[in-house]
Amino acid sequence: MKILFKRLSSFCLGLMAMLAWAGAGVAAPIDDLIAGAKKEGVIDFYGPSTLGPEGAQALAAGFNKKYGLNIKLNFNPSGNMTRDTAKIVGMSASGQPPEWDIMVVTDAHHGSLWLRKLHKPFDYASAGVNKNRIEYDTSTISVANQFALPTYNSKLVAAKDVPKKWEDLLDPKWKGKLGAINSTHHFGRLAAGPWGEEKTLDFVKKLSAQKPLLTRAGEMAQRLIIGEVLVSATLQDSQLHESQKSGAPLAFAEEVSPVISPEYHVGVLKNAPHPNVGHLFVIFMASPEVQEIWKKHTGHSSAYVPGTDAYKFAQGKQVVYMKQDQAAKVDKISRQIGKILGFN
Amino acid sequence: MKVESHSEAVGVWEGIGRRMPQKVSLFAGGLAGFLSILIGLPVVMVVLMSLRTGFPGEDVPFTLENYAYVYFTPQTYEILLNTFFFAVSSVFITLVIAVPLVWILMRTDIPFKKTIYVLLTIGILIPVFLRTIAWILLLSPRIGLLNKWLQELFALSNPPLNLYSITGMAFVQGVSFVPAAFFMLAAAYRSMDPSLEEAAYTSGVSKLKTFLKINIPITWPAIAAVMVYLFMTAIAVFEVPAIIGLPARIHVLSSLIFTSTTPSTGLPEYGMAGAYGAIMLVIGLALAFLYVRLVKQGKKYTVITGRGYRPREIALGKWKWAALGFVFLYLAIEVFIPFAVLLWASLLPYLQLPSAEAVSSLTLKHYIELPTHVGPRPFINTLILMVAVPTVTMFLSVLVSWIVIRTQVSFRGFLDTLAFIPHAVPGILMAVGLAYLGLAYRDYFPLYGTVAIIVLAHTINWIAYGTRTTNSVMIQVHRELEEAGRVSGASQPRVLGKIILPLIAAGVLNSWIWIGMLSYREVTMSLTLLTRNNIVISTVVWQFWGSGWIPQVSALGVILILFATIVVGTLRFALSRIGDIGSAS
Repeated sequence: MKILFKRLSSFCLGLMAMLAWAGAGVAAPIDDLIAGAKKEGVIDFYGPSTLGPEGAQALAAGFNKKYGLNIKLNFNPSGNMTRDTAKIVGMSASGQPPEWDIMVVTDAHHGSLWLRKLHKPFDYASAGVNKNRIEYDTSTISVANQFALPTYNSKLVAAKDVPKKWEDLLDPKWKGKLGAINSTHHFGRLAAGPWGEEKTLDFVKKLSAQKPLLTRAGEMAQRLIIGEVLVSATLQDSQLHESQKSGAPLAFAEEVSPVISPEYHVGVLKNAPHPNVGHLFVIFMASPEVQEIWKKHTGHSSAYVPGTDAYKFAQGKQVVYMKQDQAAKVDKISRQIGKILGFN
Repeated sequence: MKVESHSEAVGVWEGIGRRMPQKVSLFAGGLAGFLSILIGLPVVMVVLMSLRTGFPGEDVPFTLENYAYVYFTPQTYEILLNTFFFAVSSVFITLVIAVPLVWILMRTDIPFKKTIYVLLTIGILIPVFLRTIAWILLLSPRIGLLNKWLQELFALSNPPLNLYSITGMAFVQGVSFVPAAFFMLAAAYRSMDPSLEEAAYTSGVSKLKTFLKINIPITWPAIAAVMVYLFMTAIAVFEVPAIIGLPARIHVLSSLIFTSTTPSTGLPEYGMAGAYGAIMLVIGLALAFLYVRLVKQGKKYTVITGRGYRPREIALGKWKWAALGFVFLYLAIEVFIPFAVLLWASLLPYLQLPSAEAVSSLTLKHYIELPTHVGPRPFINTLILMVAVPTVTMFLSVLVSWIVIRTQVSFRGFLDTLAFIPHAVPGILMAVGLAYLGLAYRDYFPLYGTVAIIVLAHTINWIAYGTRTTNSVMIQVHRELEEAGRVSGASQPRVLGKIILPLIAAGVLNSWIWIGMLSYREVTMSLTLLTRNNIVISTVVWQFWGSGWIPQVSALGVILILFATIVVGTLRFALSRIGDIGSAS
């Protein structure tokens, strides 16, 4: 009995020690980051302009409250994500630190940075971040998802004509009535994912033969609204929601599968001036309270967080998410697709 | 104390003046050096980037890879052809409208001249993007109202007009060039000796025949110069190729350079932009050479003189209404229709064609919400441009012209040519070169992302215009006045400040206003240099358009047009003694 008691005691002590170690595994890095953040005192945050200064300050307030800090957040709304990403590449090449500590840009832009090793990775999983949301060799985490599908003018396209699969866009009846937006990475993701390169390029060539009108996404929404284009091959939900808010007759062809999902990622840049606040902020960006703020100010939420609009939308659908090993391929094929469609 | 300071200052100037002409040569040398750097650097950057791959700031070896790609791609030659046809057609459409217009307004007794001038100036101020929205609603093959009416009227199975073609692009671009062409040709028509016209009328030749056989041949050198000038502008413009050309896969050089530096996917290809830019640079230099030759040739036509005559207006008689109809038709295309469409779009919750349902949904919310969407920054930045660009440009122009026209400095010809070179370098290229400079050498040129870099780009771009204007006004000041000043013991700088400047002030002010307006509406360079901090009104329009905020951008457009009407109307009234805005060109 004594032996059994001793063994049980040893087991319990061992278990407690293990739990304590595991707990320290979460707490220790965060404590270190908090201590470092206190010294740094400021964060330069680059994010989509749709977040706005109010959204950015709401994030700062939530962050300071959560960690008991008084960090000043300098918000840098994106003017042009592509050019600003290139700017980071150039600054790094000339040995200069980046202007921002963290960047919230699309997964494709982070892919460009990751391919050039321009992130400062961190073990976000050890800080309790869901592994599904961590990407690019623990350099970034996913903040929110967009969704892209064929989009049509619900006043002008009869229910029976609404595309039900991607191939329906190739029906000759749509010739001269289609549109395609410059986000050619939408098809690039299909090529790197479920469709493969051959099928995607074949599809895009046939789509190009339909002579779609080519524009940027926001402009396409207007062309759809006025009826100049009846169906856009893809459009993001952000444009859709914005148009719907004004009462415009736009709708997703929701039966079409798979659904493409570009994501907003956040990551700390290599040689960031304030890396501790940066990493702590990235961890914060994975929290549920950020989802509320992000949804309120940008209209987007994460498909990885149960209960969010994005999570609900993705249920039961085949959704194409881009992974880090696809970054180079998506970049290459998207350029090819751009040429086939006639964007460049 | 004040008097003493003033005397000291005068003393300094006198001192400088007495050490002439060595000091003048030294000053001219400094100015030439400064301009060489100012104008040369962006051009050097374009050449440099064309010889590199990678990103600004990356240490990469020189290569001809970009040129190899550009010259061995058949698409390049298609694009060159597109660019050529677009430019030629645009110029053709401009002249078809501008030449009769300038004759009617400068040589005849057509009524409402002042109102027409104001409306022409307002036409310049309507951003081309906004006008293009109107033309899409009218001429789109699918939804264009004009197409629908024509189809119904003539029972046509297909829409007769297609905006999405080179002709469609040229139409919109050509119409938007008319005010500039008008003001450039106005001087030639205003100063034309009427004796030949009168001889023709006395001989019983009709007005139309006189116009075709006398007026056009006499002013041909001026028209040819305008043609070359507009051709150079047409190969560099970006707005119409972006809104009408790109959706229909019609690429021109400017849209290719823009998409190379601002791709939709992946990272910018500055090297490719440089290689395409090099082609544009060669074309620009060749055209500039042609332009200079044409302007020189124009001086041989002695019938165009300002001496000893009073311009008499031709009585239009019964043709007055036809002439008014022509002017009204043009103004409808240029001002009234775009304004009506903008007003309509600005009052809708989302863009719709006219219908009873649309009328019932009219709202003012876009006007009310505009401050939240735009904020004060674009207005402040635009104001900075409108003041800083003409001030710096005219300051440099006066100095250059003073050296070129009023001194005997041996290299004054070089200085004049140097100031003209920016005219040969398309604006988009200048901006790309400056962007590359700012990104690659930010330690030495820390202007990237600031309004100052746009001020610099605009200044370089319009210094050719500025110096042409100051040259022409300074040459009109007779040397006797200057000599009188010199004989009285005044130094050359004092003569410049006290005699020449007051005499040329009107012309300088006129050009100052004109350059300010051009800077206000310029979009290609501002867009190429755009970051979040240096956003201006013209780039807000582009961003709103790209974001699909058509009602919001239309509300902004309506406000801008009304504002411009008030400003231009007031300026015309206040400066009516000085002359027409832009007439110095």
